[in-house]
Amino acid sequence: MQPAPVRWLRSTSVRFAALLFLMQIAISGSVLLFVLRAGDAQLERFRREWVTEIQFSLVDVQRRNGHDALVNEIADRLVDPGVAIILLADRRGQPIIGNLDAWPATLPQRSDWRVIDLYRSGSQTPKTVLLVTTLLPDGNWLLTGRVKGTGARVSAIYRQAIIIGALISVLVALASAWFLGRALSRQLDSVIETTEAVGDGSISPRVRLTGAGDAFDRLRASFNAMLDRIDQLVGELRLTSDGLAHDLKSPLTRLRATIDNARRATHDPVALAAFERIDGECDQLAGMLSTALLISRTIGGIGREQMEPTDVGVILAGIAELYGPLGEEALVDISWEAPAGLEARLNRPLIEQAIGNLVDNALRYATGATRIRLSARLEADRVLIAVADDGPGIPPERHADALRRFGRLDPARGGGGSGLGLPLVAAVARLHDGNLALEDNRPGLRALLSLPR
Amino acid sequence: MPAKLLLVEDDLSTANYIAKGLGEEGFTVDRADNGRDGLFLASDGSYDAVILDRMLPAMDGMAVLGALRAAAINTPVLILSAMGAPEDRIAGLNAGSDDYLVKPFAFGELLARVRLLVRKRGASPRTETTLACDDLHMDLLSRKVTRGGRPVELQPREFRLLEHLLRHADQVITRTMLLESVWDYHFDPGTNVIDVHVSRLRRKIDDGHPRPLLHTVRGAGYRLGPDR
Repeated sequence: MQPAPVRWLRSTSVRFAALLFLMQIAISGSVLLFVLRAGDAQLERFRREWVTEIQFSLVDVQRRNGHDALVNEIADRLVDPGVAIILLADRRGQPIIGNLDAWPATLPQRSDWRVIDLYRSGSQTPKTVLLVTTLLPDGNWLLTGRVKGTGARVSAIYRQAIIIGALISVLVALASAWFLGRALSRQLDSVIETTEAVGDGSISPRVRLTGAGDAFDRLRASFNAMLDRIDQLVGELRLTSDGLAHDLKSPLTRLRATIDNARRATHDPVALAAFERIDGECDQLAGMLSTALLISRTIGGIGREQMEPTDVGVILAGIAELYGPLGEEALVDISWEAPAGLEARLNRPLIEQAIGNLVDNALRYATGATRIRLSARLEADRVLIAVADDGPGIPPERHADALRRFGRLDPARGGGGSGLGLPLVAAVARLHDGNLALEDNRPGLRALLSLPR
Repeated sequence: MPAKLLLVEDDLSTANYIAKGLGEEGFTVDRADNGRDGLFLASDGSYDAVILDRMLPAMDGMAVLGALRAAAINTPVLILSAMGAPEDRIAGLNAGSDDYLVKPFAFGELLARVRLLVRKRGASPRTETTLACDDLHMDLLSRKVTRGGRPVELQPREFRLLEHLLRHADQVITRTMLLESVWDYHFDPGTNVIDVHVSRLRRKIDDGHPRPLLHTVRGAGYRLGPDR
């Protein structure tokens, strides 16, 4: 069976995988966002602690040792201030010492944690600064702060980590989506294989259960239960029809016995002629019964074991030879053609009967035909066997009727046909994993058996 | 001494019909209506042929056949069966039966086959190089056929057909028997396929001769031999 092209957007596996992917991205995204927020908060706390430490130690110096000690201490610290911002101003806001030229205009003297942009002494570029002010016991104001800029490097590291993390989670999401998709289809593969085997005509295969008891296992179990039920129904149906055909054979045997006895008991020519006709009808009925039985057995796959490599040319030659004289009587030339040594794995008796049926059909129904041609050829890895005549043919729209069981095309022609000839050929083709097609031979009909090699 | 047959068949009406018909043809027929009794009767090996139904109560026909062959009793066995698919036939023949006839059958078909089995049992298995019937001669080595001293040209298949008829001269051979042994086909070719082959052969060997040798037996088949 040719697998259908996968339509990706509609594929359930792909949709599952995409859903999983999105959920993973959402989860890792929110984790990263939380980490980012928490990181920022931590950084802020660290900065405040850093500033508070300077503030407390300076306030402590002033309280213990007085104003001059504080000025000295600030001077010491300003030798190498780093990111520290310090400004001591009097109660009117005039700077006493510090690395700011003036009290920031936008800043009230008493202010809690603020972030503003400032120019430090001797610096041309403004810096974002976190600062806090303190009223000293002697009435001066102390401004302590920290340039936030260097902290940005830390958050750049955070951002990098976030990008890398996001990339990794994308990869992980893609990989797990792929694995999930594979796992999903693998879960179903065994079901698909079994379905295909059943489609090919053997109902015996079952899906293997994993024993996990999950939804897939339940699917497999119920699938098997369904197959069991179908098997049982088909079995019953086959038993009924086989039994019917089979049981009809006994009365038919007795009927023949009666005719035989009666025939021997009379010399009346009228009665004898009637018995002859009844006997002929018995023959046909018997033939139909055995063909019907053979079809149902063949459809059931019985006969698969008896396939062996067979020379197709030999089979065609045999059938052409068998029907040749009958054809000559009807002025129909029967010929065959096949490449030497063309072999296929065939159930020989069934294929012989199938090709025989096709030739018999042509002789019977292709009125006015002058030749019947049996041919075989290899095309790709298939063996094509054709039985073609140059008679009136069958209109294409009636080809399906011709293949149907008991589907005789011309009801007026009761003569001999059982209506089971072509269905048997089709059943034999299916047994070989092949098929039977009817084609226009221009003029005439061509029955084409296509079988795997 | 009439040939002695054992008929193992559970369908009473079919059994009566076969036994009566064979009795009228001069056979002595013993009967069993189940597999176990059939095996018991066949075990002494005194029969010329056994007609064995395949589906029997108590013991399946194939099991009876297997038991007989396992006990080295080589009485010819003809299996009668409603199962006529190629594999059934092959299974029957592989199990050691000498012939396989599918129900429903014509009595003539059964009679012809039983006669052949009984005759086969008597015949010595020597290899012949020539066959003859009346003034018809066949040389199997040079593959030449003459009638009344004049050569007859035959196609290979006609030669094999005539050979088969000569080997069973004076016996009734049915169309199905010919199809099976001369062509090795086991299906009904549908039309009077075999009749046409035989009538061609008849033209070649009988045309222009006062005594026809190849006869059509009504309702049964053909017989090669002088008029009786």
